[in-house]
Amino acid sequence: MRKVAIVGAGQSRYGEFPDKSIKELFLEAYQDMAKSVDRGYDPKRVGAAYIGNLGCGGFQLGNMSALVSEYVGLPYVHAMRIENACASGGYALVTAAMDVMAGVHDVVLAGGVEKMTDVSGLKTKYWLGVSGDTEYERLAGTTFSGLYALIAQRHMHEFGTTREHLSMVAVKNHKNGAQNPKAQFQRETTLEKAMKAPMVAAPLNLFDCCSTTDGASAVLVTSAEKAKEFTDTPIYIEGFGTASDYLAIHDRVATTTLEGTRRAADQAYKMAGVGPKDIQIAEVHDCFTIAELLAYEDLGFCEKGQAGPYLMEGHTQITGDRPVNASGGLKAKGHPIGSTGTGQAYEMFHQLRGDVQKPTRQVKGVERGLLHNVGGSGGTVVVTVLAR
Amino acid sequence: MAHVSVPMYWRTIPQRYRLVGMQCKKCGKVNFPPKGVCKYCNASSEFAEVRLSGKGKVHTFTLIGAGGAPPEFAEQEKAGGVYPVTIVELEEGPKVIGQMADVNPKDVTIGMPVRAELRRIYEEEGVVRYGFKFVPLEGGA
Ligand SMILES: [Zn+2]
Repeated sequence: MRKVAIVGAGQSRYGEFPDKSIKELFLEAYQDMAKSVDRGYDPKRVGAAYIGNLGCGGFQLGNMSALVSEYVGLPYVHAMRIENACASGGYALVTAAMDVMAGVHDVVLAGGVEKMTDVSGLKTKYWLGVSGDTEYERLAGTTFSGLYALIAQRHMHEFGTTREHLSMVAVKNHKNGAQNPKAQFQRETTLEKAMKAPMVAAPLNLFDCCSTTDGASAVLVTSAEKAKEFTDTPIYIEGFGTASDYLAIHDRVATTTLEGTRRAADQAYKMAGVGPKDIQIAEVHDCFTIAELLAYEDLGFCEKGQAGPYLMEGHTQITGDRPVNASGGLKAKGHPIGSTGTGQAYEMFHQLRGDVQKPTRQVKGVERGLLHNVGGSGGTVVVTVLAR
Repeated sequence: MAHVSVPMYWRTIPQRYRLVGMQCKKCGKVNFPPKGVCKYCNASSEFAEVRLSGKGKVHTFTLIGAGGAPPEFAEQEKAGGVYPVTIVELEEGPKVIGQMADVNPKDVTIGMPVRAELRRIYEEEGVVRYGFKFVPLEGGA
């Protein structure tokens, strides 16, 4: 099968944009992507568009991929909405890769978009809840904060993970987000402030949770042999893996492991012919602080149960030996559900090429990175390995 | 907007009222809540109904505050304050999520023995929904 590369990547600003529709948000990301293609972007070459999206409050559930595609000047393509909750964007990217690998289309757009602030707070909570197990988890009175809290409590019990470990994830990611002009929250926070935030679902407080975000992202995927027609520095998709899991946490083999992450990472490493030690930089799914700690363990960056100490030793700081969420992560950069996965690809594309918009966030000399995107509390997971 | 419609709820009443589990005729393990195919052997869809004791131990828990309650439970949180939600490991093996009642949220701990009781869960679409909640087991384990 053909090797695949990313030759362009763009992202809208993430945040709250009452003046913008999903079409306009997507246009912003699309035009940013077009600008990033070194030898010029020609929309006539695009054969397919895979668009990650959860549901945008139900306004355009049907045919939304056709809508945003035609709006940006891409009518008559193989347009498809890809939905796997918060992992929709990551699945859009690997679907685009599979398409090009199979030789069906040569040039394919993968993107994502979400508009979360057009609906009332209660309706937003309704929409956030639709990706969990409805019959049992929802009826026990939980949303995702409660579900991740159940995981966090057990992780603390089994491995001695602390309040400080959780809060340090938020502090680190806000520090990075402060250097990201496209992030929702471009300000640092202190450990004290993060530890003392109001409780949402104990042990998780407000600073352990990501916010609701509007935003869009778009990447251009083509075959490795065609990549040089677009740029001298393509970013290759070396490997990817995906795995689903039992939707409800109580059905899973273990409470403190996302089995989907473990299996998706295994596949991605195998396809790329690398191991966790070869990953120099990563964007992981920190929808809650505990989720980033789980990711360290389940991706093999450290031993099971050792994520807290691993974090505290500074490995994943932007100055560490394996920076994680240099973009600010879901926590500070923002989490526009359907856009998150391709937004991670946008960050990694520029990190690996060494042309990050704001140089203070640039990690120097990195050649291989990993993307980790989780749907809901782990019902779907996608892991992608990128290299220059 | 309802999350679990009355018909959806009605179909799960055997589980919610009487904790009816499904024992796999091939591997003998108890699936609760039920699956279409046994989740332990993935090889059989023939089950015998078994009624679970409802007794078990707290495997993990959370205390849901104002920001963590879904809209349909916001009223409960407002009236009664923080409420505990647990995953309980039942004595027959399966784990299941449920709220805890008759307990000071501060006193909930992992490993705590509990038993299921039929309680009011919430009201939606004008219908009061009943189902199991866990309460501390008198006299401990
Ligand atoms: Zn079986």
